[in-house]
This record gives sequence, C-alpha cells and structure tokens, in this order.
Amino acid sequence: MKRTTTLPVWIVPAIALMGLVAFTIIYEISTKGESILIKPENLLNILRQVSFVGIIAMGMTLVITLGGIDLSVGSLVAFLGGIGILLLNSLLSRGTPELMAVVGAFALIVVGGVAAGMINGLLVSKGKLAPFIATLGGLAAYRSLSMALVAGGEYRSEGAGLFGKIGAGGIAIPGTNIAPNAPLPVPLLIPWPVLIFAVVAFVAWMILNWTRLGRYIVAIGSNERSAIYSAIEVDRVKILTYSLLGLCTGIAALLVASRLASISSSSSGTLYELDVIAAVVIGGTRMRGGAGTIAGTVIGVLILGVIQNMLNLLQVSVYLQGLVKGLVIIGAVLLQRAERP
Amino acid sequence: MPPVIAVENLSKRFGSVRALDAVDLQFIRGEVHGLVGENGAGKSTLMKVLSGLEHPTSGDLIMNGSRVHLNGVPDAIKLGIVMIHQELNLVDELSVADNIFLGREFTRGGLIARRRNEDESRRLLDRIGHTLDPARPVRTLSIADKQMVEIAKALSYNASVLIMDEPTATLTERESNALLGLVDHLRQTGVTIVFISHILPQVLRISDRITILRDGRVVTTLDSRDVRTTSERDLASLMVGRSMTDYFPARGPHWDDIALSVRDLSVPNRVEGVSFDVRSGEIFGLAGLIGAGRTEAAEAIVGLRRKSTGQIFLNGSPVRINGLVDATRFGIAYLAEDRKDAGLTLNMSIIDNTTLVSLRRYSRGLLNRSKQKLATQGHALRLRLRAAALTDAVSTLSGGNQQKVLLAKWLEMSPKVLIVDEPTRGVDIGAKEEIYHLLHELAAQGLSCVMISSEMNELIGMCHRIGVMRLGRLVTILDGQHATEEQIIHAAGLETAGA
Repeated sequence: MKRTTTLPVWIVPAIALMGLVAFTIIYEISTKGESILIKPENLLNILRQVSFVGIIAMGMTLVITLGGIDLSVGSLVAFLGGIGILLLNSLLSRGTPELMAVVGAFALIVVGGVAAGMINGLLVSKGKLAPFIATLGGLAAYRSLSMALVAGGEYRSEGAGLFGKIGAGGIAIPGTNIAPNAPLPVPLLIPWPVLIFAVVAFVAWMILNWTRLGRYIVAIGSNERSAIYSAIEVDRVKILTYSLLGLCTGIAALLVASRLASISSSSSGTLYELDVIAAVVIGGTRMRGGAGTIAGTVIGVLILGVIQNMLNLLQVSVYLQGLVKGLVIIGAVLLQRAERP
Repeated sequence: MPPVIAVENLSKRFGSVRALDAVDLQFIRGEVHGLVGENGAGKSTLMKVLSGLEHPTSGDLIMNGSRVHLNGVPDAIKLGIVMIHQELNLVDELSVADNIFLGREFTRGGLIARRRNEDESRRLLDRIGHTLDPARPVRTLSIADKQMVEIAKALSYNASVLIMDEPTATLTERESNALLGLVDHLRQTGVTIVFISHILPQVLRISDRITILRDGRVVTTLDSRDVRTTSERDLASLMVGRSMTDYFPARGPHWDDIALSVRDLSVPNRVEGVSFDVRSGEIFGLAGLIGAGRTEAAEAIVGLRRKSTGQIFLNGSPVRINGLVDATRFGIAYLAEDRKDAGLTLNMSIIDNTTLVSLRRYSRGLLNRSKQKLATQGHALRLRLRAAALTDAVSTLSGGNQQKVLLAKWLEMSPKVLIVDEPTRGVDIGAKEEIYHLLHELAAQGLSCVMISSEMNELIGMCHRIGVMRLGRLVTILDGQHATEEQIIHAAGLETAGA
C-alpha cells in the first residue's frame, strides 16, 4: 500500500494568490505607486474583461470535476452569438419591437448553449466518446459554422442599441465620480457581466457543494465504476453537467455579443477554451476529476486577468503574453503534481 | 541458529500514532515466519520498515550480525530482502521475462537480448517448479500465475528473505495449495519467508513460527511446538486480545414467506438457468470457484449485467430491474466484491460515502449536511467504526473499517434484500466477527441476505442454506446447518487430492 498524502484542493490557488499579491506589491513598488493597476476603475475593468471567461469556467469546473473536458466552448461562443444576432436582425427587419427581438435573440443564444452542452453530454455518455475527442469535434464544427454563415466576416446588430445594454452597461455606484473635471459627475459602473459572473459563481458553488448533483459529480469524477455500483445514474449526471456548462457558455456568448453588438466569426471566443481550462487548473481543480473548487477557479480567473492587465500596463508585447500564461499554467499543474509524492 | 534479521526495540510513529512500539523479533534462516494481527496492528508498517519503504523512528535492524540502515527499497533488495505486495507490481503489457528483469535486462550491444532474458526467466520459473512461457504478456495470466512471476522476480534478486503480504487472498483453494507448496520448497532451499495473512488455517499449516502483533506490539512469538498445538480460535483470540467463543453467532429462525425468488437466470457465457428462493430472515450462501458465475448472477439480479433469460420475483410478484437504480427502488442492495474500485469512492468522506446511495433522502434542493452527519454517526456507532473523524476520506481507513462504511452505505437505504459479495475479504478477524453478528442481527429483523463467499467455513458458519455453483450452473443447495467443506468442494468441482 502506498501512503498518499493528498493536500486539500485549495493549496494550489492559495499559493497562486500569494504569488499574485507578492507580484502586485513588487509592481507597485517599482512604479512608485503611480500605476493605475489597483485603482478601482482599473480593477473593475479587469473584472469585466475576465467575466466572460469566468462564467464559462464555472461550468468547466463542474465538467472537469466530473472527469470530463470541453474544448468546444470558444467556438460555441462565436456560433451562438452569431445566430443570436442573425435572429435579432431578422426579427427587426420584420418589424418586431426591439425589446421582443432582443429577448428572442438572448433566448436563442442561451437555449442553443444548453442544447450544444446536451449534445456533448450525449456523445460522452451514450456515445461513449472520450470527452477530448467529442468536444474537439465541436471546436472545429461550431467555428466553421459561424464562419460559413457570414463567409468569414462579422455579425453586426442592426438594432437601436438595446441589444448592447447588458454587455456594455452596468450599475452605477452612487457617490463615485471618475471624471472630477467633467461638468456632470461620471459614476463608477459595476458592469452587468461582472454581476452575472458573481451570480453564476455562487450558483455553481451551491451546486458543487450543496446539492445531490454536486456529490454525484465528485463521485463520478473520482471513480466512475464505484458511481455505477452506487446506483447513480451516471449518464444522466453527465448529460446534465455538460448542459450546465452549455448554459454558462450561452450566457457568456450573450454577453460577448452584446458588449460590442457584434460577433467576429473568426476571432470572437478564440482560445477561450484555453483560458477557461487554465483558470480551472490554476484554481486547483484536479485534471483527472474527483476534486474541484469553484472559489479556486474564481481566483484562477482573476489571476489570469491581473497578469494580462499587468503585462498590458508594462507594455509587454501582446505576442509574448501567451508565453506568460503558458508558464503560469505549467507552474500550477506542477504544484498539483507536488501534492502526491 | 543466528537470525538472518533481528529487529531490536524498533518503534515507528506517524505523528502521534504509535504504529510500532518497541518491537523485538528475529527471523531465522530457512524458516517460514507467520505474521498475524488485526488491521492496524502494525504488520504492514513492520514490513515497510524491513523492505526499506519506511524509516524506523527508533530501534535497530540487525542483519547477519551487523546493523543495517535501509535507505529505500533498492537498499533492501541489495541485502536480499524482497517484498511481494498484495497488489502485485507487474506491468500488464510487458511479457513475463520483461517483467522479471525490468530495469536490469540482459543486453547485447545496447539492445535487449530477448532470448537470453527469456532463457533466464525460464530457469527461474523452473526453480519454483512452474512452467510458463516467458514471452507471454502478463495481462493474459491468472492472478496465481502473476504471483509466480513475482516470486521468480524476487528470486532473481537472490533474495534471502522473502516477505509475502496476503499472497493467497485472491487465489482459489487449489492455487493457494500450490503456492503453499512452493513456500515449503523455498524454505528448504534456505530462504526465509515472512508470511502475512488473514487466513489463519494457512498460517498455522505453513509456518514454523508465528508472531502475533496487536496495537503495534508483539503479543508473543509461538515456536514450532506451540504452533502445532494452537488452534485457529486460539490464534484469533491472541490477535484480538479476548476469547473468540461465539465467532459465528447462532443462526436465527427465518420466516416461511419467500422474499426474493430468482427463476431461470442466465447471462451469456457466464450463468446458466439459475433458480433459487430466499425467505425473509434467511441467509442464503452462494459457494463456488472463482469464475463459477456467482458474482455475475448477483450482478444480473440487481441489473448491473444484462441477462438473457430469467425473472426476479419480490414477495411473489415479478419485478423488472434494468439497472441498479431499479434494484434499489425495490429495496435490493448489492455490496460489490471489489471494495476499492466498485464499492467505495475512496477520496470522498465517510459521510459522503455512507449517504451516497440514499442521497435523495437528504436533499430538498439543497443537501442537509447535519442530517447526513447524524445518520452516519448512527451507523458508525452501530458498526463500531473506528475513524478519527467522519469527514475523513475513506482511503485513510483500514480495510475492515472501509468494509464497514460499505455496509453502512447499503444499510442506509434500509434494504429488504441484501446481496453481499465477499463481505469479509481483506478484513481482520475482529471486524469479521462484527460483520457476522451484524448480518445475523439484520436477518433476525426480517432481512433476506444472499452471501457470496470463497471462504467455505464462513458460509457454513453463517448460512441457513448454501447454493453451490459450478461453471455457471447452480448444481446443488445444501443445508447450512449440516453442510461440510467436503460437500461444497465436491459440488463445486474442486480437486481435493493433494496439490
């Protein structure tokens, strides 16, 4: 018998968080406190930037804890956002009131996300495909579909601006003013995507820790055979979990499309799968399943965002930012390895 | 005769736990030294220290008169101490010869000299009187054959001390006998064998001396004269530290109504037209060789396997069971044979495991954790579960306590029919006794139990009736009160002669 001392799952995000804080302090000292990094408007900006990936990462944490993976999320964002805008424009052109058209478009995006998740779940459970393969298919297919519909171009909303409210807007914090010299005060906005990210994170945390589904996800991810022998309906749980990730992807696609009221068929959502999986891994969720933490993933998402922001402020070339991200991911996985001597 | 290895005043602590406490022990050249004790008594820790896996906290290891310090398994192997673990350490995809010489293959010009490796392997296998094609992939071998490969591998290190941890736990009677024969042969060639086992009759039969461990201390070492006069029950009493007079509880009466009825059950290539009835309060045994189809029949009953024919009746009415979920709805519980890979989710807590099957009961949208804990505490108390905290992962528990969690998990759903598959495998004698008493207690309350076991004395001691399976068929049903091992062996198709 091998003695395995498994450290708790939070150890990786804890170390990552400490590293991040240390890094921020060094940064602040080196810029003599003149940097805008920890100014509230920059922090909110970071939060908005990470919220899209963050929302998907919540669902991905569940799927990876289940012992699965989903590579199709990035392409799906472009596809769902694209068909949403197509529906919006077609409804508007038929004279539907803008509010109805927007609601219809949003509904299509979200329902489409759930459907796509369900398809992945069916392929993985009933089709017995390896999750990596099943969703690799989606990665290629959804990107291809979204490009084919507009011949590689752009989907652009033809509405009067209601469609963009949720992705670009937010709730004003009373009493704040970020433009002291302007004639009217400009309050600080908490962007809608950030609030939605917070809600999704809370719900995902409840699901993983306080529901039957959460226990089943952990059980299946730990040992699928035991789960079968414990009278758990493994296929149903898998389909449901992938559908939840589809739901998260749908919500993210809605926000991405709404933010600029457009979707680029070739670049929207590109490499989201990488960032999402990276956040989950940095968060300490075990890649082979059986142990996951939502709080860790939130930290992972924030770390990715702050690193990106810091690199921007330091004017590091965009081309090099991938290198830094890559090193952080490898570092996080190495830390996980250290868990089992 | 001077000892090959002497253990002097050896202690090992893990944190505040004293796994070994001032152990003194000597192993003599050419002896078979039995080592028994309950789970957690310190057997494995002692063996890990001897094989270089763990450092002692204090105390000495003396080998052939001089103090040795083992820094890892390779050190121990260099000194001729080789351990064969219960979970065999073979690479399934490699051949027998590749496994035996893994990491130190004979080479010629930088390439592996396959022929030479195979010839040397054949020579080693000959030495233990076993014929086996060295080119065969290990995955195609039976567990017994794999064990032989492990032994051949150990001998290839010129082992003078061979530590065997539960070598017969997963072998059939006949394979066990062959292995014990080999142990006897090795002893005559001067190898010292440390034989760790829960199967006491085998320990008594093969050992020259027996050391009993309890709570990290040596209770006593029986010399060869003592071994001959010690009974299994005496040995068990020494292990648990109290007398074991009512090891098997008295069989209670059962009702006349038939709770579970299986008719003409078949699984392609595995089970052939099996029919039997189990009454309320009855414990029905299923005996047979490994591969006789007992587990497959049980799995077909609970819907884990597709059956080609057969009907299941509960209290006289037919039921359709297409999956374990259906079975649990009808109140049938199935304790799987493979505790670690099918029974429990090792990295989940005791509470999570105990409530996993009946989780619905604790969920109204959200889980009621305090209720889960309360229920688990109840089971822990009743089953005398020994655990530091109920939130600990099940993997931290000893085998016996893991088995108790597995029982708790299924009792939690309040079954009407309980099918247990090898419920006491790898469980120490104290926990075994507790499980026996628990099953009887449940039967007395009206539970119907189907008990699959490879330990015949267990079936004879426990069951009202024993069905014997052979090559997928239920060949006979014996009265448990009067059945003998010979009857079972004969019906199951085991050869009794010699071997």
